[in-house]
Amino acid sequence: MSVKYVPVQWNVFKFLYDFALLVIIMGFLWVFVHIIPDQLTYDPSITPQIQNMRAFGSCAFFLLTAILVIGPLARIDRRFLPLLYNRRHLGVLTCFVAFSHASFVIRWYFVFSPTDRYVALFGTNTAYNQLLGFPFESFGIFALLCLIILATTSHDFWLKFLTPRIWKSLHYLIYPAYAAVVAHIGLGTLQDQPVSIFGFLVVLCVALVVGLHLMARRCELETTDSSALHRVDAYWHALFPVQEIEEGYARVARIDTGDRIAVFLHNGKLSAISNACAHQNGPLGEGKIIDCFVTCPWHGFQYDVTNGRSPAPFTEKIATYQIRVREGIVEVDERANPPGTPVEPLNVEKEDSV
Amino acid sequence: MTKKELFFIGYLPVPQKLWLLFIMTFLAFFAAFIFSAWAIGLSQNDPGDGRFRFDLGRQTVSGVLETLPYPMIHVTEGSSAIDAGETLMLSGAGKFGVEPHASNLSSTSISATGIILNRGTLRMLQISNPRRNLSVVENQQSISDPLDLGRWRLVGEICDGKCYAGAMRPGRGIAHKACAELCIEGGVPPVFVTTKPVQTHEYLLIGNADGGPISDTLLEKVGIYVSLEGRIEQRGSIAVFLADEGSLEVFP
Repeated sequence: MSVKYVPVQWNVFKFLYDFALLVIIMGFLWVFVHIIPDQLTYDPSITPQIQNMRAFGSCAFFLLTAILVIGPLARIDRRFLPLLYNRRHLGVLTCFVAFSHASFVIRWYFVFSPTDRYVALFGTNTAYNQLLGFPFESFGIFALLCLIILATTSHDFWLKFLTPRIWKSLHYLIYPAYAAVVAHIGLGTLQDQPVSIFGFLVVLCVALVVGLHLMARRCELETTDSSALHRVDAYWHALFPVQEIEEGYARVARIDTGDRIAVFLHNGKLSAISNACAHQNGPLGEGKIIDCFVTCPWHGFQYDVTNGRSPAPFTEKIATYQIRVREGIVEVDERANPPGTPVEPLNVEKEDSV
Repeated sequence: MTKKELFFIGYLPVPQKLWLLFIMTFLAFFAAFIFSAWAIGLSQNDPGDGRFRFDLGRQTVSGVLETLPYPMIHVTEGSSAIDAGETLMLSGAGKFGVEPHASNLSSTSISATGIILNRGTLRMLQISNPRRNLSVVENQQSISDPLDLGRWRLVGEICDGKCYAGAMRPGRGIAHKACAELCIEGGVPPVFVTTKPVQTHEYLLIGNADGGPISDTLLEKVGIYVSLEGRIEQRGSIAVFLADEGSLEVFP
């Protein structure tokens, strides 16, 4: 959390995270660019520029896969949340690696020619009417543009400027970008070598990304499901038994309006707030109360559970809800209060209270 | 592990058990990336033995220039690395051909200076500055008529003769397609690489059925497997494939 914008709010964990990322990326490139050419006995060897474009291109694909694997992994098992914490740095590094790949391609395949390199890039192969020999470069260009947009808008300034909803929607571009990269590889190098180790790894990565997303969705449905969940009257919904909520934590319910509501138990009293953090729509209900404040598990943004406001000097606000308990079941009014509206916490000792 | 032990926020101290998981995850990702780099790197195909022969130095030869479908020289007076009687395709530097300078010299005897590109029996002379390194010689000679080798249907790939001859390794295939098209558009002679040799010729200079450069239709099919029918002529030591674009078939 910050009241002013700084390029990066460094802490020890972020340093270590970025160091680990650099070790992984440099290790991959070092092996591909420096170790492999000595191992291959080809005479003459593969052109170094082509070796570089292959190394950076495949590295960018695996990094993009890692980005998309971390999200569902953290939702399936909360122990992986630390990987999510600094994921935007991984995204920015991926953009640099992908950009390097594009640079090697453009500065090798599209230069030394009477045609301008960028005119050549877009205008040379225009056989969009055929699958074999399709201009697969266009998918790569699209993916790179997506990654550049994501990297440049990754800072919290853009989150505040665009609003979390638009920012989050914009950052779903990662999925079309990944699909475009897979098409770029599939119509490019894999058409040359359909049966290859790289082809096998690409299929494995895509299956991993799709499989983990499906698993995460299933886990999410299971954790928000409640046998007691039903509509009581025009506005009120029965959610779950009070005893399912642990002191200092929340239970999350998704009512039929589509809203996710987190009901926290703090000092023996219940409070209901929106499950979406004002920062990046993080799942507040998976957080916990620290120093009397609900703390988001993604980036540690905090809110007073009784009014949905961040502690001063921070200004973030989220919606609160009216709740009541009837026959041991928590009920909520679907009409959300305006963000930051105080609601008196409900003492669970008193049954059937409103 | 309890919920309290699991909870993580970057600005608070990291729980000890999460450190262990973080280190193990890092090692798993590191191992996966290193293995991938190793496996993909080692599985790259051999690009072949094509290369620039800088080791032979610049070669100066004399011979008769033929410009259609693409420029080639029938050597009458060889050099240390090029024999008289050999025919070499000609290209400029980079993705340039030796046109338009060469078109003014068609069917004349010239002197050419350049660097050899060599892949098996495919030989090309790169002439970096055609205006300076292609010049008319006094002693004019003529070339013999082409020898008709009949009509053939060939299966293979249209490549730009320069990259395939070793300017780029690899210099063929779909990943290289746009580069090959740029080279051919720039005037570099294209070759047809056959899956089965035609009377010992594995590489044939390819042109259109009318004897001129290949059409845009064939240019679009560079880098992919195709089948083409056409007439083959022996011109000096080179086989020239004059392909009918109407006979084109693309292999999936």
